[in-house]
Amino acid sequence: MRLVAAGLSLLLLGAACSGAGGDVTVLVAGDPFELAAYRDVVEASGLPVRLIEVTDRDQLIARLSTSIAAGDPPDLFLLNYRYQARFLATGAVAPMQQFLDRSAVLAEGDFFPQVLEAFREGGALTCLPQNAASLVVYYNEEIFAAAGVPIPTGDWTWDEMVGRAQLLTQDRDGDGIVDVHGLGVEPEVIRIAPLVWSAGSELVDREDAPTSFALANEEAVRAVQAFLDLRARFGVVPTDEEAASQDLESRFLSGHLAMLIESRKVVPALRTIDAFGWDVAPLPPIGEPANVLHSDAYCLASASDRKQAAFRFVEFALGPEGQRILAEAGRIVPVRPDVAASEAFLGGEPASSEVFLDQLAWTRPLPRVAAWPEIEDAANALIEEAFYDPTGGSEAAELVLALMSQTQALFARGA
Amino acid sequence: MDPERRALWLLATPFLFGVVLLVAGPALLTLVMSAFEWDLVSEARFVGAANFRELLGDDVFRISLRNSLWYVAVSVPLKLLGALGLALLLHRRTRARGLARASVVLPAAIPDAAWALVWLWILNPLTGPLNLALQALGLPTPAWLTQPGAARWSVVLIGLLQLGEGFLIALAARQGVPGHLHETAEAAGAGPWARFVRVTLPLMAPALLLVVCRDAVASFQATFAPALLVTGGGPPPHATTFLPLFVYQNAFEYLRYGYAAAATVVMIVVSASIVWLMIRTVDRWRGGLVEQIR
Repeated sequence: MRLVAAGLSLLLLGAACSGAGGDVTVLVAGDPFELAAYRDVVEASGLPVRLIEVTDRDQLIARLSTSIAAGDPPDLFLLNYRYQARFLATGAVAPMQQFLDRSAVLAEGDFFPQVLEAFREGGALTCLPQNAASLVVYYNEEIFAAAGVPIPTGDWTWDEMVGRAQLLTQDRDGDGIVDVHGLGVEPEVIRIAPLVWSAGSELVDREDAPTSFALANEEAVRAVQAFLDLRARFGVVPTDEEAASQDLESRFLSGHLAMLIESRKVVPALRTIDAFGWDVAPLPPIGEPANVLHSDAYCLASASDRKQAAFRFVEFALGPEGQRILAEAGRIVPVRPDVAASEAFLGGEPASSEVFLDQLAWTRPLPRVAAWPEIEDAANALIEEAFYDPTGGSEAAELVLALMSQTQALFARGA
Repeated sequence: MDPERRALWLLATPFLFGVVLLVAGPALLTLVMSAFEWDLVSEARFVGAANFRELLGDDVFRISLRNSLWYVAVSVPLKLLGALGLALLLHRRTRARGLARASVVLPAAIPDAAWALVWLWILNPLTGPLNLALQALGLPTPAWLTQPGAARWSVVLIGLLQLGEGFLIALAARQGVPGHLHETAEAAGAGPWARFVRVTLPLMAPALLLVVCRDAVASFQATFAPALLVTGGGPPPHATTFLPLFVYQNAFEYLRYGYAAAATVVMIVVSASIVWLMIRTVDRWRGGLVEQIR
């Protein structure tokens, strides 16, 4: 196998992330807004750091694995906790705890504790988070005002959100085509998860080492049905054709979507809106308040020979100045309470950014298993199929059974 | 070794070197890797034929293989007909033939990713020019990206216009058919169809066989960019997940390089089988034709 490894490494060399001279290399993924913010952080750090930029998660994972195989990984990489398990299990990541313990700049107390927990293995911190986002509801103030519908409040419920979405779904010119949809939400497991928790069910059977989805119960079925009803029963979200024609973010930007369930990542794009005012409201619960963690963390490659220099960049990026730059760019919910409470985060749009912080009290992470990317893709395909079922006849119970049976083998492999 | 043979070897050496380094070497590595479970990050684990056994029970792999075979069965004949028809149409000396030939070749020169993104716009179910044109003509407007059948046909459509290479080969073959053979056949009372079937087609057959073999092999890979960028392998359940996308997802998204290598080995074997079948079929057809003429 060494021969294969050597051959493959040779072939992958071109794709590998090789450091230029003594620069610390940092692999990041993001949209143009996000990448621009990372560049600002690097520039402000004044440290010899070179960013390796890719556009999405899949590219980042591919680049990371091939560069590790080629023996030349980036010193640091920024990866969502949902996709870190495989790299952690194989020793590709050098735990951050020892560096944090020795740091004169950073301490555990600088971070929101509930976010740090998503990055702890056996009591030690593996990677250090840079953001603490969750899902919220973005809403178009003009559409609400024009329809005479009251804007969302902090204590609204799922049913109230659906009721308002029904009132806001409008065919304005009477041509039989909906011009404004009341709500936009991606049919994905990360969108359904908080609803399942809110209804009183668990998403998976064992939090620490899941072997299956745990959705075969009344509460979970009720939550999944409420989600499917958004399209099939109430018709408040765009159809699959409409969603394929224009993605939800663009639809909101163009004023054709009254509400959008999303994480913090859309804020930089939404700040380009001049035509109408917008704000955020909490994700409404179906039962108890619940939300799902969206967080990326800096991980240190075991094979890096510049670990100390790389950690110096982490100290800057997660320090008050680095977090301030990212917060002002709008992209992140700071993981530091001091920056989160500052004007850098609360001062810009959206006006109600404190909603993100309020959610942290009941925000939970998704499972961390090696096969999670595959489990999520398989689950998302099933959810999408049921959500956009043209017959409108998809039952939550059927979807739940399909989710459990068709991902069982993946859980077994990835636990 | 005589000087001529030595010169031939010398000329072939860079190409052979490239084939060994970029084709034979990776193919061999793929074969070896298919016997391992490997994520590139941890130690590889020998699993023998387990990856192939798992493929047998994998619904997504079965769907991908079926989709790929369907694509080859539909796309290759259509592209051959297109290339042949255009070659017959444009081989004559007519006005603006250069422009027409360039128009046929041009799509094949556009990078796959750029071509796919252009089609993402063309096939937009609500605002795309294709459906707007169909609507203006009072024709049905398929949901190209969201209805499984239409999505599969949209991938065929995207590849169909990239027939430039096949067209050039067919055009060269048509121009190589001696004019006096047609004149002789015409003098013997053969009509246009008979001249095409008895003279043009048999003489073009070796070149067309090359086009078909090349397209059959290329078709397995040609689905990758449109499936990844236009349809995303969907709509669910895996309507446009073809073998290359299956391999890509397992290798680069799920880090199952051994499993993806096993799927690639299957893809190579299936491609080779199709090409072998085609060569045999055409050989028999040509043999039968020669017998008839005798």
